[in-house]
Amino acid sequence: MRLLQLSLRSLLLYALVLVILSIPVSFFSISEILNEETDETLDLQSSQFLSHLGNFTYLDDLETDLEVLDHLSNNIHIYPSKGRHVPRHFETISVFDSAEQEYRPFRQISSSVTIKGKPYILSIRMSLVDNDRLVLAISLVQTLLIVLLVAGLLFINRSLSRKIWKPFYSTINQLKAYELDKNKAIEPEVTHIVEFDDLNKTVSALTDRNRKVFLQQKEFIENASHELQTPLAIFQGKLDLLMQSPTLSEADAGIIMELEAASRRMSRLNKNLLLLSKIDNEQFLEKEEVEVGVVLGELLVNLQPVAQLDHIEITYHAHALNVHCSKPLLEILLTNLIHNAIRHNTAGGKVDVTIEERALCISNSGPPLQMSTEKMFERFSKETANAQSTGLGLAIVKKICDTCHFELTYRYDYGHHFVVRF
Amino acid sequence: MIEDEKELVKGMAQYLRQESYVCEIAYTASEAREKIMLFDYDCILLDISLPDGNGLQILYELKRMGKADGVIIITAKNSLDDRVTGLNLGADDYLSKPFYLPELSARVAAVIRRKRFEGNTKLSFKEITIDLLGKTVLVHGGHVELTRKEYNLLLFLVSNKNRVVSKNAIAEHLSGDDAELLDKFDFIYSHIKNLKKKLTEAGAEDYLKTIYGLGYKFAA
Repeated sequence: MRLLQLSLRSLLLYALVLVILSIPVSFFSISEILNEETDETLDLQSSQFLSHLGNFTYLDDLETDLEVLDHLSNNIHIYPSKGRHVPRHFETISVFDSAEQEYRPFRQISSSVTIKGKPYILSIRMSLVDNDRLVLAISLVQTLLIVLLVAGLLFINRSLSRKIWKPFYSTINQLKAYELDKNKAIEPEVTHIVEFDDLNKTVSALTDRNRKVFLQQKEFIENASHELQTPLAIFQGKLDLLMQSPTLSEADAGIIMELEAASRRMSRLNKNLLLLSKIDNEQFLEKEEVEVGVVLGELLVNLQPVAQLDHIEITYHAHALNVHCSKPLLEILLTNLIHNAIRHNTAGGKVDVTIEERALCISNSGPPLQMSTEKMFERFSKETANAQSTGLGLAIVKKICDTCHFELTYRYDYGHHFVVRF
Repeated sequence: MIEDEKELVKGMAQYLRQESYVCEIAYTASEAREKIMLFDYDCILLDISLPDGNGLQILYELKRMGKADGVIIITAKNSLDDRVTGLNLGADDYLSKPFYLPELSARVAAVIRRKRFEGNTKLSFKEITIDLLGKTVLVHGGHVELTRKEYNLLLFLVSNKNRVVSKNAIAEHLSGDDAELLDKFDFIYSHIKNLKKKLTEAGAEDYLKTIYGLGYKFAA
């Protein structure tokens, strides 16, 4: 559930309770006010009636007139008390309305009065608003209120989530798409909302710091590899000189051989590490149209004799395919894949290279992997302790595919199949 | 040799002196500037990163002075940019560290041949003559049919004559990066065997000597 929906839900619930509660409250308070008003009016009417009556006390037949009035008037009743004493009081009564054929509420004031020394009871009544109608009216108004409130809140909510939350979602989307080794830095928009600006600042600082650490590490690998090149060159040079010694015994020669093999391995490792950081540092930006078949052709001519040493047969199915990419990277990619296919093969095995519509398939016979497929493309993950393998070849392949946006897939199906989709 | 790594340059000089080259060493850019102003060299080995300057700057100055010295850039960086800039500035070759001394020697020899023997494109070792322009080999004046690899191998060995050249150095010279796959050296062996056979069959003496399991030496 979204944050805004959550707050909206609480707001709506509160508004609903309030509105529902307000119906009886308004009803009672409105009828109370109405009663009070009516009572005041009735009180006034009653005292006015009595004071006006005082002007007619000289009439001899007032008694008869009052009786007539009692019969004629609908709202004023005055009749002899016949010994009953009624204290002055207000009450709400129901009176049958013959025109509407229903009972209607009336407010009535009754009190004992004395006219010309005779006790009378005076009742004056006024029509009240029908309770049902009052409830209906209030309910209608309140329902309308609820509808307007909900509609308004929903509308505001929507425009809020569009407007106010826009920078938030933009930051989230940037974070989702963020890749440490690709993006420069996250640049959130200024929102002028304290919380969001705070969040954005923190996110920016975090990604900046991560990126700096990442770059330093990248630089470190490159620098370390560079720095190692010179001592390696010295080491190799001294070995080359040592070989010239005329007093060299066969045992010495053996040791020099082994040292040279180690030196070769170190330089190869170092070279591959350097290559990886160079790809990382995007030092292969120049792109051109490269014909895959041409690159492959040259490569296979050179590798054919090498493969033949282990009686590995290379089959090649060419197809015209142009790729727009960095030529050195493509060469390295193809070299590494084919080297890999030759190295991890059995004697007398097969390597098949096929160019398809927009893809290149390189398959080779060989036993299935012991390690997982994902691990295969990691740095320094080796199946065998083969001294000839640096464990970086496929990591470089993966890196090149990532950099050039090629899709690399691997599957085992009676042989290893690598597919690069350009 | 313009290179600040003393041990490295010492080894390089020692190896090249065996070929009877006269080597002078400059450890800094300022030393190098002084020397290139005063003398003409057949070949300059130039390290790009020097303690007091960039080697490419020296190359630039050299070319501005109109000097015809051959230049081989030696660098630890092996960056494409440096290579392109270096070659554009007029360097003759480019070698990245680490390298085999026989490889260095062969490159130096190639540069010096190009610079010094204009017109004379033949290289001789006893009765064997290599025509560098036509890429052909003659023994006692008779033509010897060699494959491209065998020709390169012979040229490499002759450039390093009288010195032991390891199988690794040969493998890398012949196959470049593909040498990674050549763990058993059968590949080199077959080329050596074929070359040896073709040369002796043409009437040359067998100058190609095997030094234990280490490598080969082309010597009279």
